[in-house]
Amino acid sequence: MAETLLKIDNLKKSFGKLEVLKGLSTEIRKGEVVVMIGPSGSGKSTFLRCMNLLEQPTDGSIVFDNIDIVSADEKTRNSVRSEMGMVFQHFNLFPHLTILDNITLAPRLVRHMPKAEAEKKAHELLKRVGLDDKALAYPQQLSGGQKQRVAIVRSLAMEPKVMLFDEPTSALDPEMVGEVLDVMKDLAHNGMTMVVVTHEMRFARDVATRVLFLEGGSIIAEGTPAEIFDQPHEGRLGEFLGKVRGDDRAEASVEKVILKAAQDGKVTVAELEEILNSIRK
Amino acid sequence: MMWQSILDEFQLCFGKGRYAYLLNGLGVTLEVALAAIVLGLALGFLAAVIRSTHDKYGHFAIANFITKVYLTVIRGTPMVVQLLITYYIILRSVDSKVLIAILAFGINSGAYQAEILRAGITSIDPGQMEAGRALGLSYWRTMFRIILPQAVRNVLPALGNEFIVLMKDTSIVGYIALIDLAKGGDIIRSQTYSVYLPYLTVAGVYLVLVMTFTWLLGKLERYLRNTGADVVQNDS
Repeated sequence: MAETLLKIDNLKKSFGKLEVLKGLSTEIRKGEVVVMIGPSGSGKSTFLRCMNLLEQPTDGSIVFDNIDIVSADEKTRNSVRSEMGMVFQHFNLFPHLTILDNITLAPRLVRHMPKAEAEKKAHELLKRVGLDDKALAYPQQLSGGQKQRVAIVRSLAMEPKVMLFDEPTSALDPEMVGEVLDVMKDLAHNGMTMVVVTHEMRFARDVATRVLFLEGGSIIAEGTPAEIFDQPHEGRLGEFLGKVRGDDRAEASVEKVILKAAQDGKVTVAELEEILNSIRK
Repeated sequence: MMWQSILDEFQLCFGKGRYAYLLNGLGVTLEVALAAIVLGLALGFLAAVIRSTHDKYGHFAIANFITKVYLTVIRGTPMVVQLLITYYIILRSVDSKVLIAILAFGINSGAYQAEILRAGITSIDPGQMEAGRALGLSYWRTMFRIILPQAVRNVLPALGNEFIVLMKDTSIVGYIALIDLAKGGDIIRSQTYSVYLPYLTVAGVYLVLVMTFTWLLGKLERYLRNTGADVVQNDS
């Protein structure tokens, strides 16, 4: 079994009186792609943000590189964060810096990498995601999908041991989701350890090595994509997957209609009714 | 003849080397104003960062308390009174009136700049701090490299306004017998009993100063705006 990168034990987090995480334990091993799914408010984003201490856990431990980072001092925390990449829902690129400076800032300041070397590396990474021609542009000049690809590159430039993705496609227009997921798939195939919070079930099924289902601040179910998605489940997981599958089925039906309409130029009322019924189910 | 009388008036007010009162006074005004702006910026940054860090994380309780007292006292008392207290009480043993004026105005302006800058810091999306921290940058690095540059850009018009107010406010240094532009004009009036030309000239010079400054600020604002925000889409 691959070496453990992050060992999380009985992690708790409360905001005031509200307990958001109720004692979560799991291990993230090298090369794993762990996808966290669950209804909104289940604590999956908070869990992810605790892993690099953007949120300070109330209790429990996270062991990274043989250090319990929950109780570590500020300097250790900074160095731990520099080893973990994080991609946010809203990109959070630095608007006052060019794409190139966005990417080279941390390697230069934190890793003390010479400017020329940092820029060379940034160009290489930008080429990998097809955005090298945007190196001297500013974030506002990019589309959402391009911004998120740059945000991924910005994290990669620090050569992190693990990448955390916090709903990376949720703020994107539908037609831009694919380009970001493609970059993430590419990363996964190249062996990057990833923890991903997402609502993209197809991505979870195709790319994840392990799926965690969170509900009400606890890990309710855990398993391979096949175990989670292809077997019937009772309780909250079954309910959640039923909803998601319903959406998937509806989406597939609509796709079929559009395809047919495109082929012969018309759709009958009966066909539309059939579709609507299947969505209502 | 009208022209002759204007010429005589001009000769009376600015001849026999009297123009030097205005010229030297202008030098003093610029010296005090520019140095006070710089001192005010330094104090303002310090106070704004302490206040906003405290508001967010609860750190620096003592420094935050001192900062709050500083802001309350400075913003709650008149500039003239602060200048007199600095001159007659706090810095009684200091000889340089210019230095005293710079300190009094710098400390005063710092309080106003602090609140302007704090508003700027608060206006930045928390995601910017998170992104900086997630990359391994320390709080202070993120503050100085990521947050403050954006904050300053956002509040530049308000800061510019504060600079203009400060520049004109220095005209009260006559209270501690420092001869600036305004006081220079007043001395000419007292020597010649002529009111129109000295005061109107002084007013004109202040106006030109402020207009020049406004123009420079506008240029800076446009420059900063073009590096980043609101750039026209130029996809290739």
